[in-house]
Amino acid sequence: MSNPFIRIDGVTRTFGEVYAVDDVSLDIQQGELFCLLGGSGSGKSTLLRMLAGFERPTAGRIIIDGRDMTDVPPHARDVNMMFQSYALFPHMSVERNIAYGLHRMGMPKAQIATRVTDMLSLVQMEKLARRKPDQLSGGQRQRVALARALARRPKLLLLDEPLGALDRKLREETQLELKKIQSSLGITFIVVTHDQEEAMTLGDRLGVMNEGRIVQVGAPHEVYEFPQSRFVADFIGTVNLFEGTIAEDRDTDAVIASPEAGIDIRIPHAVTGTAGQPVAVALRPEKIVISRTLPDPYDNVLTGQVTDIVYSGNLSVFHVTLASGKRVRVSRTNRLRAESEGIGAGDAVQLGFTGQSAVVLAS
Amino acid sequence: MKRLVALVPVAWLGLFFLVPFLVLLKISFSEPAIAQPPYLPLLDWADGILTIALNLGNYIFLTEDPLYLLSYLSSVKIAAISTVLTLLLGYPMAYVIARAPEHRRGLLLMLVILPFWTSFLLRVYAWIGLLKANGIVNNALLAVGVIDQPLVMLQTDFAVYLGIVYTYLPFMILPLYATLSKLDADLLDASADLGARPGTTFLTVTLPLSLPGVVAGSMLVFIPAVGEYIIPALLGGPGTLMIGSVLWNEFFLNRDWPVAAAVAIVMVLVLALPIALLRRVQAREGERP
Repeated sequence: MSNPFIRIDGVTRTFGEVYAVDDVSLDIQQGELFCLLGGSGSGKSTLLRMLAGFERPTAGRIIIDGRDMTDVPPHARDVNMMFQSYALFPHMSVERNIAYGLHRMGMPKAQIATRVTDMLSLVQMEKLARRKPDQLSGGQRQRVALARALARRPKLLLLDEPLGALDRKLREETQLELKKIQSSLGITFIVVTHDQEEAMTLGDRLGVMNEGRIVQVGAPHEVYEFPQSRFVADFIGTVNLFEGTIAEDRDTDAVIASPEAGIDIRIPHAVTGTAGQPVAVALRPEKIVISRTLPDPYDNVLTGQVTDIVYSGNLSVFHVTLASGKRVRVSRTNRLRAESEGIGAGDAVQLGFTGQSAVVLAS
Repeated sequence: MKRLVALVPVAWLGLFFLVPFLVLLKISFSEPAIAQPPYLPLLDWADGILTIALNLGNYIFLTEDPLYLLSYLSSVKIAAISTVLTLLLGYPMAYVIARAPEHRRGLLLMLVILPFWTSFLLRVYAWIGLLKANGIVNNALLAVGVIDQPLVMLQTDFAVYLGIVYTYLPFMILPLYATLSKLDADLLDASADLGARPGTTFLTVTLPLSLPGVVAGSMLVFIPAVGEYIIPALLGGPGTLMIGSVLWNEFFLNRDWPVAAAVAIVMVLVLALPIALLRRVQAREGERP
């Protein structure tokens, strides 16, 4: 891994006083599907626009396939982008939209025709080749935009919120399709999204951005199970955070005193930090078992009262208030049609979890 | 209620466009006479018999004297060249305004409209002051030493073109600005992303998508320019042949209202036919998938 395919090296972009992208360094491998995940204003779109060449970095370098592209204009880059708005040319048919980039390469006419046909069949749009963009549905436009961006066989494809405009059902289908196309063509994809679920399903790896910086990079399960900061724990999925201090830290286990949780939380491994240091214990709702009286022993057991139950079909989310007033979310799969124990609002319950499932966050 | 609202423009057009047009049409078919008004009535109710004296002579007369045909052709030529010049000058201006930061666009548009705050006639007279033999331009050039004899600019076709382009430029810029400012910036980025240099992007994306503005602006300049009277009368020379002055001469010098009316009717047809054709072409464009 000495020479990554794409190297973003200390890239900063300022707009006046504002740091849109702040000293970002990132390596991406060839053929990877990388997701940049962040809220609005996190700098993810600006980073993408710098990769496409629409924005120049204020500082830092962008190297693609061994070539320094920092100052290369967009039309001379072997990089294509699928725009969030799709940006299809309204005065051109589907065919001509797809052929647009090929004409600019000076490709011979016969070859263009073959490539356009290939692209149309790749996205299953053969029958609509002569339509204009305003005669297509949102999903069809999305396919044309993808075909147009892929037609030049770029080294790198940038996708800005590629599924943002589609409805939920279509989005799930398209996610799989996009992944299939990506792996069959072997083109490196960088996808920008604000939807953490989409980033996790789509990406081989994801980079979480906040305030212009990359705060964590990793495979989806790493980022979800082992968030390195409160921001990431909170941004990806739902999390319960218990404030506390390190009470004991040994080689094989640790104890976090948390008045908020009402107990000393036992963690079966060493933690980084010194005794007395304030930390937070992050715990996902699905890692907690809820019962009137827990059938099995757990390292850590909290007690509280159910204040609310949110039923969403496959899942029920219990809102439990502890003695300290802290509210905890616990989710449970609705394996049976009827709630077996009959837990209702106002009931006293026990919440059990293993220290293994919790993450201790210093920052 | 909806019908009532639609009735207002219909009534307006009927009262101030259709009725005068019909009056004009009627006059164009009458016999000239030394009378008040200077033509014979079209319909005559005498001895219980209605006679319609439809006189085609005025139209035939227009074809007999080459002056009229030459004037029409010359008017269309002057208007067409002026329209192209206005387009060439107005397009970049509209483009720059549309691409300017939003807070500056208002000011720039204001500057485009500003000349309208002074009377049109005064502005044309001001050009006389600029262009005449001992006018501001010639004096400035003489003082600098670029020329040693004053240039003849006034009472030439050059002055007429200058006057028309200057006067009608805002009518070109405003519709162009309207279409260009609606142009999605993502489309320009997408074109660059797909390998187009800025010049190619302009020709393949910006220009085709701004065509409605080009057509609207060109119409707004071409149509009044064909019938323009004041600019050629004040800035043009004896060689400047335009249908507006022919019309004026027929009405006020010859007092031949029927021929003048025929000249006007033909002018309306000359203008209306290409517009109708253009509209049909546009309608077909819109239908095509």
